Amino acid sequence: MRPSFFHHLHPPTIPAAQARCRHTLAAGGTAIFLMLILGITGIMEMFHYVPNPQEAALSVQTITYHVPFGGFIRSLHYWAAQLLLIVSVIHLLRVVFTAAYGHPRRFNYLLGLGLFILAILLDFTGYILRWDVDICYPLLTGTNLLKTIPLFGDSLFRIAVGGGEACSTGLLRFYVWHIFGLTLPIIILVAWHAFRVRRDGGIAVPPPHLRVNNERISRNVLVRREVLIMFIVSIVLILMASFLPAPIAPAMTGNPSIAANARAPWFFLWVQEMLKWGDPFIFGVLIPFGILVLLALIPYIFPKPADSDIGTWFPKSNRLAQIVVSVIALIVIALTLMTFIQ
Amino acid sequence: MSEISRRDFLKLARDGFLYLSGALALGGLLRFLEYDPNPAPKTEFDLGSASNFPLNSRTLLSNPQAVLLHTENGFSALSLVCTHLGCTVEQKTDGFTCPCHGSRFDSNGTVINGPAEKPLRSLRVETTNEGNLKLFTA
Amino acid sequence: MKKILSVASGLLFLTLVFTWWLNSREPKPVKLIPTLSGQPEYCITCHADVPEISASHPIATFGCVSCHGGERLALNADLAHSTMRGGANPSDLSVVEASCGGSNCHSGSEADDRHHIQRVMTSVQSTYAGAIANIRYTFGAQTDLNAHYDISAITDDQTKTGITALLAFDPASETNPSIQKFGENCLTCHINATPREGETYTRQTGCAACHSTEQHTLTTAIPYTQCNACHNRGNYDLRTMTFTERTDHPTQRIDDYYQPIAQFTQCEYTLDCVDCHTRSEVMGDGDLHASQKDIQYVQCKTCHGTLTELPLTKTLTNLNDIAFRMSFLNPVVDLEPGDTIIITENGEPFWNTRVLSDGTYEMIGKATSQYFTFKPVMGSNCTQSGEDQSSAYCHECHAVER
Repeated sequence: MRPSFFHHLHPPTIPAAQARCRHTLAAGGTAIFLMLILGITGIMEMFHYVPNPQEAALSVQTITYHVPFGGFIRSLHYWAAQLLLIVSVIHLLRVVFTAAYGHPRRFNYLLGLGLFILAILLDFTGYILRWDVDICYPLLTGTNLLKTIPLFGDSLFRIAVGGGEACSTGLLRFYVWHIFGLTLPIIILVAWHAFRVRRDGGIAVPPPHLRVNNERISRNVLVRREVLIMFIVSIVLILMASFLPAPIAPAMTGNPSIAANARAPWFFLWVQEMLKWGDPFIFGVLIPFGILVLLALIPYIFPKPADSDIGTWFPKSNRLAQIVVSVIALIVIALTLMTFIQ
Repeated sequence: MSEISRRDFLKLARDGFLYLSGALALGGLLRFLEYDPNPAPKTEFDLGSASNFPLNSRTLLSNPQAVLLHTENGFSALSLVCTHLGCTVEQKTDGFTCPCHGSRFDSNGTVINGPAEKPLRSLRVETTNEGNLKLFTA
Repeated sequence: MKKILSVASGLLFLTLVFTWWLNSREPKPVKLIPTLSGQPEYCITCHADVPEISASHPIATFGCVSCHGGERLALNADLAHSTMRGGANPSDLSVVEASCGGSNCHSGSEADDRHHIQRVMTSVQSTYAGAIANIRYTFGAQTDLNAHYDISAITDDQTKTGITALLAFDPASETNPSIQKFGENCLTCHINATPREGETYTRQTGCAACHSTEQHTLTTAIPYTQCNACHNRGNYDLRTMTFTERTDHPTQRIDDYYQPIAQFTQCEYTLDCVDCHTRSEVMGDGDLHASQKDIQYVQCKTCHGTLTELPLTKTLTNLNDIAFRMSFLNPVVDLEPGDTIIITENGEPFWNTRVLSDGTYEMIGKATSQYFTFKPVMGSNCTQSGEDQSSAYCHECHAVER
C-alpha cells in the first residue's frame, strides 16, 4: 500500500519504546483530534447560532431542542472542549515528567504553552456565547479583571470586549474571538507545534549512544495506533454527549438577575477561590500570570535534564521541575475543590 | 566607532525597517480593535414620583442596580455594584453580600469583610420641580 | 492490530446507531404560534392535556407563555419552567402585573374600567389594612384607627381617600405579643397569602383565589364555596389570638354550612355571594381604604327598595355598558339592549337582574342559574321603620329559624 498524505505526516519509523501509549499517554495526539472535533462541530453550530444579544440564547435553545441532532452536536462540542483542557494538562505533565522539554524542544514547549492559553481562552469565549443568565457574572468579573491591569487594562478591556457594558455588548466581539480571532492562531500554532515535533527529532528519546532500546516501529503501525485512539476517543465522546447534555440556562436579559449563578466555569474556579482573598489584580491576574511565567521558564532556568534521562518517566535529573509542576497542579485542584465547600 | 561592513549595515537597516513596520502595524491593529461604537452608558435615571418612596423606606431598584433610601435627611442612594469586581450585591437582613467572592457590606455600604476594600458607592439623588426623583451614577 | 481496529470501528458504528436511536425516542415537538405574540411555543409538547382555561383566553390566541412566562423553545422541563412566573399560578400578586397586566389586558385605564390589577392590589381583600389597623389599635400599637400598614407595601398616586401609601406590616418588629401572634396565626386569609392546608378549603393566591374554581380554569361564575375558602373556615379567638379551623365538610347550607351564631335570610343561604356583592365591593375601587366598612355598601334595600322608594334601575341602551360586557362573559345571563336592570346606589349594575313588565323583578344566579322573582318592599306588608336599613334589622323578621 502506498503511504497517504496522513502517513507522510509521520516519520518513516519512530522508536518503539517512546511510541507506546504507556509512554506518551497519547495525550498530544488526542488533543489534536479533539481540536478537529471542535472545529467540525463548531462550524456545524455556526449554521444555526445567531450572534446578537436578543437571539443568541434562543438560538442555542433551538440548536439544543429543535435542530435534528443539534443537542448532540452541541454536547459533543462542549465535552470535546472540556476534555481538550484536561488532555492538554495531561500532555503538559507528561512532557515535564519525561523531561521532554530540553533543547532543541524548548521553543516547541513554549508553543505548547501558547496553545494551552489559546485553548483556555477559546473555552471561555465559547462559554460566553451561550449568553444565558449563568454567564453574566463570569463575563463581568473576567473582563473587569482586565481593567485592573495598570497602564493597558482599559485598552485590553476594549480590545477583548469591544467596550460598552460587558453583559450587554460583549457578545459580538466574543463571537469574533471565538470563531476567528483565537481559532486562526490556534490552527497556525498547532501546525507549527506538530512541525516542530518532527523537526526536533520526534518524540523525545535519549541520544543514540545512550539509548537502551533500539527497536523501532513503522509509520503504518503508528498511524494504526492513532486511528484506534481516535475511535476510542470518539466512542467516549459520543457516549458522554448522549448521556450528559451540555449545560443550558434561561436567556439573559441585560441586568444581572439576583438569582443568577455566581460560579465561575469549572476551569476558572481556582481563580474565583483566590479572588476571595483580596485584591483582584494580584489574585486574578498576577498570580495566574506568574504561574504561566514559571511554567515557561522550566526549560530555561531549571536544571537541565541529563541526556540519558530524556524520554523516561520520572527521571532523577529534573526532579525540581517535576515537583514544581506537581505542586502547581495540586494547588489548582485544591483551590477548585475548595469552592465546593462553602 | 567600530567598523561595520556595508552588507551588515544594509541587513541591519532592512531588519530595522521590518521591525518598525511590524510595530506600526501592531499599533494600528490595536487601535483598530480598540474602537468602541457603543454609546456611553446612561448615567441619569428617572425614578418617578417621590411619593412612591415614603419616609424610612429602602427600595431596591433594578435599573440601575441601587437601593434608594428616604430618611429625615432626604433622598440618597447606594450603588449595589460590588467594589471588588462588579457583581451585584444581594440585600440581606443586616446589609449586603456579594455572591461572587464573598464580600460583605453593612446597610450603609461600609465593608464588613471580604476581598472588597472600598465601600459601596454613594449615588446622588435630586428632586425635580415636579416632584420626581433623578438618580445619577456618574 | 487490524482485528482490534475492526472491533473498534464496529463499536463506533454501534454508538452512532445508539445515538440515532436515543434521538428518535425524544417526543416530537408540538408547535403553537399564538396570534397575540406570533412567536412559536412548544409547551403543549408535554402539556397537551391541559384544558382551555376559559372562553375569553383561548390558547390559539394567547398561547401559554404570555401568561405563565417560561422558556418557550425549551423541551427540557427544568429549563422550560425556570422562568415561569409564580410557579403554577401566574396570577399571584407578586407577578400578576407581568402575567395579567398590560394596557390591553387587565391593567388598563380607569376610564375603560380595565384597571383590575390596580383595584385588586389596593383592595382590602389584598391589603388587609383594616384588620391590621384594628388589631394594632386594640393592643395599643397605634392610637387611631387609620390604616398605616398592610400586607405588602403599596402606594396610590391618585387616591380619593387620602391614603397615599401603606407600609409593610412586620409582625416580628411589633412589641406586643398579641400582635405578634396575630401575625403568626391570622394572616392566611388575604389573597396574597398561601392558605392553610385542608382539602375542602384549598384555594390559590392572587386572581385565581376567586376566579379559579378548578385546575386551570378561569370563570366569573363564582360559587359561594369559593368564598368560603376564607370566609367560613372556622372561629377566631381575640383573647388568645388563635384561629380554630372547622374540621367538618358540610353540604347542607343553612343547617350545617354556616356558623350557628349567624342569622340568614333566604337570599343569603340560596344565592351566591357574587349575586349581591358587587365588583367594587369585592375587588376594590382603586383606592386604599382603612376598613371593610368603607367599601362594603350593598344592603337589602339595594335590590328590594324601602317602603317609600323602589330600587334604583337603569335601562341599558349603550352597547359598551359594563353590564353587557359582564353578561357576555357569564354563561347563564343574557342581556338585550332595552333591558332595565337594578343598579346600586353607586351606579354599579346588577346585571343578573331585570325589571319585569308587571313591576316585579327577576334575578338569575350567576353561578347556579337559579331563577328568582321578587317584589319590591314598597306596596308590601313589611312593617319596617324606614330609618334602620341594616341587615340585622331586616333579619329580625326575615331570618330563617334554625
